[in-house]
Amino acid sequence: MRDLAGNLAFRRCNVGFMGEPLDTWFKREILIHEVILMRFIARLWPRHDEIADIRQETYARVYEAARDARLQSPKEFLFATARHLMADRIRRERIVSIRAGGDIDYLNVLVDEISPEQRVGAHQELARVTQAFDRLSEKCREVVWLRRVKGLSQKEAAAQMGLAEKTIEKHLRNGTRQLAHYMREDTLAPRTLWNDIDEAKNEEARREHGTDERD
Amino acid sequence: MSTERTNEIEETASDWLVRRESGQWTPADQARLEQWLDASTLNRVAFLRLELAWEESARLKALGAGVPGNRPPPPGQWNLTPFFDSHRAAPDLRGTHVPGTVAADPSEPSAVTDSPAPGTVPRGARQRTGRFAVAASVLLAVTAGFGTYQFWSSDADRYRTPVGGLSSVPMPDGSKVTLNTASEIRVAVNENERRIDLRQGEAFFEVAKDPNRPFVVKAGKKRIVAVGTKFSVRRDGESVEVVVTEGKVRIEDASRSLRSSAVEASGSAAPAAAANNPVFLTAGAIAYADEAGVLVQRKSLVEAEAHLSWRSGVLMFREQNLADAVAEFNRYNVRKIVIADPAVAALKVEGNFRATNVDAFVRLLESGFQVRAAAEGDQIVLSSR
Repeated sequence: MRDLAGNLAFRRCNVGFMGEPLDTWFKREILIHEVILMRFIARLWPRHDEIADIRQETYARVYEAARDARLQSPKEFLFATARHLMADRIRRERIVSIRAGGDIDYLNVLVDEISPEQRVGAHQELARVTQAFDRLSEKCREVVWLRRVKGLSQKEAAAQMGLAEKTIEKHLRNGTRQLAHYMREDTLAPRTLWNDIDEAKNEEARREHGTDERD
Repeated sequence: MSTERTNEIEETASDWLVRRESGQWTPADQARLEQWLDASTLNRVAFLRLELAWEESARLKALGAGVPGNRPPPPGQWNLTPFFDSHRAAPDLRGTHVPGTVAADPSEPSAVTDSPAPGTVPRGARQRTGRFAVAASVLLAVTAGFGTYQFWSSDADRYRTPVGGLSSVPMPDGSKVTLNTASEIRVAVNENERRIDLRQGEAFFEVAKDPNRPFVVKAGKKRIVAVGTKFSVRRDGESVEVVVTEGKVRIEDASRSLRSSAVEASGSAAPAAAANNPVFLTAGAIAYADEAGVLVQRKSLVEAEAHLSWRSGVLMFREQNLADAVAEFNRYNVRKIVIADPAVAALKVEGNFRATNVDAFVRLLESGFQVRAAAEGDQIVLSSR
């Protein structure tokens, strides 16, 4: 099998961005594509509980590649890396399926089905964040609201809500993880692909809060 | 990396982030955080991802100005602000998210949109929709030629979808029915009863709870009875498949009187598979019923849901014979795939596919297997290379 990432012949740009921290660059150029990356993986990978693993492993590989020198085509590199990683897994696990046909070029075929990243306006960005926010549990929403919108400190938020600071922290941990998930959720993806992820999150939230947050 | 490990890293990352933002953060803490970040790139990318979400949540401040007090408005109440007037079109993320149009609208009878969300349709999907719209209208023309049925006319209790169609129909009682490809139902919902006759095809039911009005689906000689639950019924002549994803349903012969079975239902659930006795199904059950009886398989909820991926226009195959996969595809497409070679029929396929994108499926087969596809009239013939 050919080396897919190699085929695309990425040139690395050594000039860099005048000392911009890699972490900032990574958020802006890589993490921003999460919706489409998830869609891409979901289309190609039958076991949906593994999508998050593949995503995180892809991120790690891209981050490491970008450490020495910034990538000139970050988005292309990101998708090639994901593709490469899935091909690796297929080889390793010897999945008996269409994927074991010996030619993984089909992975390229489906790339056409992935829509190009849309540049969205500030209003849509806000709508996306708000919709993710609305999906948090009531307590989580309240804590995030106090901390991020009303600008209260953790101590003040705890006093305001009559909760221990530890509890506030717990809500924030959950809130951040769920926001990260929901904000990047693919509204075009088949709903079923996300059910198990949602279920896991809800289950976890229920355990943590002792509340039922399903609608 | 395993799923548990991924989850564990994310949990630890969220802990670091929240503590850093807590206001009680020392240089020693910072050193320890950096150590953790340096320990593995997986740690670092998980942290950055959550940090980005945290940073982005600051956007909510734009909404805070108009909200008095310390509590956020209830979910979905944001359109009080002028921001969302034009952008509320974004899909309801919590809903069942069924693509397609509502069948009762006679102006759009084809219900062929195969994209789950309105508005932002990927280019490829739009093309598919276009191609399919042509196919659907051909089908309409043919059926109209027979003049045997009214297509979503004043006959409001009758709903059907063309081949490749997918449609969601709200019921007057608050229940919702999702019709799969080439399906037809008749509906009688009034104060006293809720009855659906599945004439053909497959439908998924989300039943509003109402103990006084059992929700009864008739499929040929079988009847499926529910109170408040979610299940699908697929009919192939007299073979009936029932998948339950929530609550409990009862499957029985349609010839039984409803009254006598209601009495039994209050007693113990007897999972007798004899053709005459009702069989009770709970969430995760997949039942196959025909004249000979009822066969029940108990699956995990995830597996049961996989049977219902058609609701989002997707076919999911796992280790499936190509012959079976092709049979599934053919339900959704006017252009049928024909397997000319038993060796091809036995190939195993795995993956997720748009039900109406038969071309992509065939292309994948050609690139992944020793299979040749040839277009012959309205058919795609698969043979060994």
